[in-house]
Amino acid sequence: MKRKAAAALLMAVSLAGCVPTNIIDDILMVEAEGYDYLGNGRVYGTVTMPNYVAGGAQGAGGGGVPTTAAMMWLAEGATYDGKSLVDKFQSKGQRPLRVGKLRVMLFDKEYAKHGLKKQIEFRNRDPDTARDLYLAVVDGSANKLLSGKYQTAIPISRYVSDMIDQNQNQNYPTNDAHDVFFSYYGNYMDPFMPMIKKRGKHLEMQGLALFKKDKYALSIPERDAFVFKMLYEPFNQGVYDYEFMPRKHVALRNVNARVQYRVRNGNGAEPDIKAKVSIEGQVRQAAPGTIGEVPIEEIEDGMEKELEQKAAEMVGKFQKKSIDPLRLGDRVRSFTRRFDGDTWQDRYPNAHFHCSVQIDINQTGISR
Amino acid sequence: MFGKKSWKKKRLQEVSGDLNPKTVADLYAQLKDYPDFTHFEYKGSRFHCWISFFRSLVDVDYVHRDILSYLSEQSVHSLSDIQNRLPIEKLIRTKDVSEIQSKLLRNYVIIQEKEHDPDCLIVPMIPIVRRQVVQPEIETSIIGPKEGFVEALDVNLSLVRQRIPIPQCSVEEVTVGKISNTRVSLIYIEGIANEENVNTVRQRIRDLEVSSLIDVTMLADLISDNCHSPFPQFIDTERPDRAAGAVYEGKIAVLVDGSPSALILPSTIVEFFSAFDDYFLAWHIGSGYRLIRLFFVVLSSVAPSLYVAVLTYHYQLIPKELLGSLILSRSIVPFDPIMEALILEVMIELLREAGARLPTKVGQTIGIVGGIVIGTASVQAGLTSNVLLIIVAMSALGSFITPNYRMATTIRFLRFPFLISAGVLGLPGLALCITFFICHLLKLTSLGRPYIEPIYPLRVTDLKDAFIRLPYSAQITRPMFLRPGDATRSNPRRIRMKRGPRQPDIDE
Repeated sequence: MKRKAAAALLMAVSLAGCVPTNIIDDILMVEAEGYDYLGNGRVYGTVTMPNYVAGGAQGAGGGGVPTTAAMMWLAEGATYDGKSLVDKFQSKGQRPLRVGKLRVMLFDKEYAKHGLKKQIEFRNRDPDTARDLYLAVVDGSANKLLSGKYQTAIPISRYVSDMIDQNQNQNYPTNDAHDVFFSYYGNYMDPFMPMIKKRGKHLEMQGLALFKKDKYALSIPERDAFVFKMLYEPFNQGVYDYEFMPRKHVALRNVNARVQYRVRNGNGAEPDIKAKVSIEGQVRQAAPGTIGEVPIEEIEDGMEKELEQKAAEMVGKFQKKSIDPLRLGDRVRSFTRRFDGDTWQDRYPNAHFHCSVQIDINQTGISR
Repeated sequence: MFGKKSWKKKRLQEVSGDLNPKTVADLYAQLKDYPDFTHFEYKGSRFHCWISFFRSLVDVDYVHRDILSYLSEQSVHSLSDIQNRLPIEKLIRTKDVSEIQSKLLRNYVIIQEKEHDPDCLIVPMIPIVRRQVVQPEIETSIIGPKEGFVEALDVNLSLVRQRIPIPQCSVEEVTVGKISNTRVSLIYIEGIANEENVNTVRQRIRDLEVSSLIDVTMLADLISDNCHSPFPQFIDTERPDRAAGAVYEGKIAVLVDGSPSALILPSTIVEFFSAFDDYFLAWHIGSGYRLIRLFFVVLSSVAPSLYVAVLTYHYQLIPKELLGSLILSRSIVPFDPIMEALILEVMIELLREAGARLPTKVGQTIGIVGGIVIGTASVQAGLTSNVLLIIVAMSALGSFITPNYRMATTIRFLRFPFLISAGVLGLPGLALCITFFICHLLKLTSLGRPYIEPIYPLRVTDLKDAFIRLPYSAQITRPMFLRPGDATRSNPRRIRMKRGPRQPDIDE
């Protein structure tokens, strides 16, 4: 017994050198990857690493190793589709590149149209990366976005991920790599990603890029993100801008929104899908001559009608393209006993979608 | 030619000879040269006798007052007269040399009619006063009793006995040590203490084969269930109130002459982390402090190793907000995290040891020098990182929070295997090492009772005074862990009767 224990201990200690270490200040943590499609199965890849600016320890007198401020922060080059960028650029690395803190993956529109199958499957297989990273489509060049100059000194990877993160707490539907993989691998649903764009010295959200399996199919503009999110998940803190009369806007900040689906005839040729959305909200920003002068029910009714119409239009577009980012098919399945999944693709475009919105404005701010 | 055995025998003969005195004369011959041995003939007007005692053991004032003054009385003619006359209880009249010898070397006075007369009167006397009862110094408390045990066994016994004034509180005395003849006392309450426990303790102490016994911790090591374990299995306390409290619960307290602390047996691991102060505060607050203590003890033993494991192997786990400051503080450090952590940990141990060995006044200086000068200087010199300094200091504090000093040293020791395994294999290594220690704790017993009792085996009723302390009204039963003779502290039926039916309030 003792001999065995001693042998185990000896082995543990002597084999210790075989475990590869990743000491945090001896590696470069890749935080953003960008892919631009070059055509013919080749991509132009870009990776960025954050650059920690510091003056070293106080009073250190410049001793020790130079701080990471002097480290490289970008590598780029052409490679074939589906190759791990970190592996590709390992030879360019000043220190070992590691992918474990990857925060965002950006794809340009061309690559999204070509299909992200290889990237998604590769990333899903990789246990090193987190599932809370953001996948996003870039309107323009991912390389330019990642290597560009901005107003902020914060590393670009943080900039992108913080921007996506804070928007997903408001009007944009929550959507990280986990959700994308779920929609990609799941039945009767399709993934979507936020779309971003570099404009001058800053970034902006451009709406949502919707996919047909792994291929980019359609985009919806930013002003419709609220409608999408309202149908997709319960949320709060969103803002909907409603034009009550020409040039007279009322902005509704919802404190609560819920959606309930009802499905009838799920196995029929033309299933009925009913979405019942109820929104509670408050108005803070309103043009003079709207709130307080018009009965609030009128504004609520107008807003309800507009949202209902927009929702119906949006789903109609999805049905025409036969994409399903709202996971309607999955909702139908959950309402239908012995759901006929094989024919769903054919029946989906014919489904009747009906949305009823119930808005309750319960606060309009200080009026006098 | 000469076997090992015969050589050993020869040596033994040379060294020991036969030193045990056969007669009283032999005994005196052996002792007479010692400066503190008093042996003189008292010549009264009518009666002569020989008086012998050790000045270093017996308070001479009392000999003068209580013995010599009576010897000069008219009516004293023989040893029997003295025996009748002396107003002292428990006089012994004996011819047994070994008894005379052992009493002479305690606080007794021997009176004989003639110098070599085997017939002796043994008179108990007041021993020389040792340290006064003072405040406990290790287990201090802000409120509550302020007495601490001292080195004299009889004083310690009285401190406990005064708190348990019932005939069932039994004290057994055992002599341990061939040379030291140390008096060891077992204190327990008959009927409450489990008989099996008492028998085990008694047997373990009686069967000891040692030449000397200096302190209670030595006894704890000798009678512990597993002396190879780093975990102390019995609580040592210098508070008589805590010892008495344990005896009320049905535990056994053991006192050793010459040692200013009592041993409480059996104990569970959680009790080591409960300070007696917890009982003096409101129960939520006492429980809160207990939880803080337990949390920081766990933190203190794993925090540095977690730091090493995460920074060496698992950079993915670091939150992005921390990444910057961690990398920056590490970037000028030339060592691996494991080396860095070991250097700091050893430095802290060094400081602690230096502080403990030095006189109190200098010790404080060392604390300042070590804490401020070495701490900040090592960070500025780029030997260690700021963040690790905080973690190591926190974990040092966390280990000092343990009320029991022996357990505190164990907690400090635990960090090193954890650190090394984390440095070798990362989090899996740490998990492996923790598993090893948990298995060890599972196997450990204290007087044959499971050491981590309220947790495993799970005893829900004993949880009322483990991690949290419920109010006294909820503490009706004694710890099940002890299998006490009388399981309840008070009669629940009588409590209910006294409380009576619920009276609605006047405005209800």
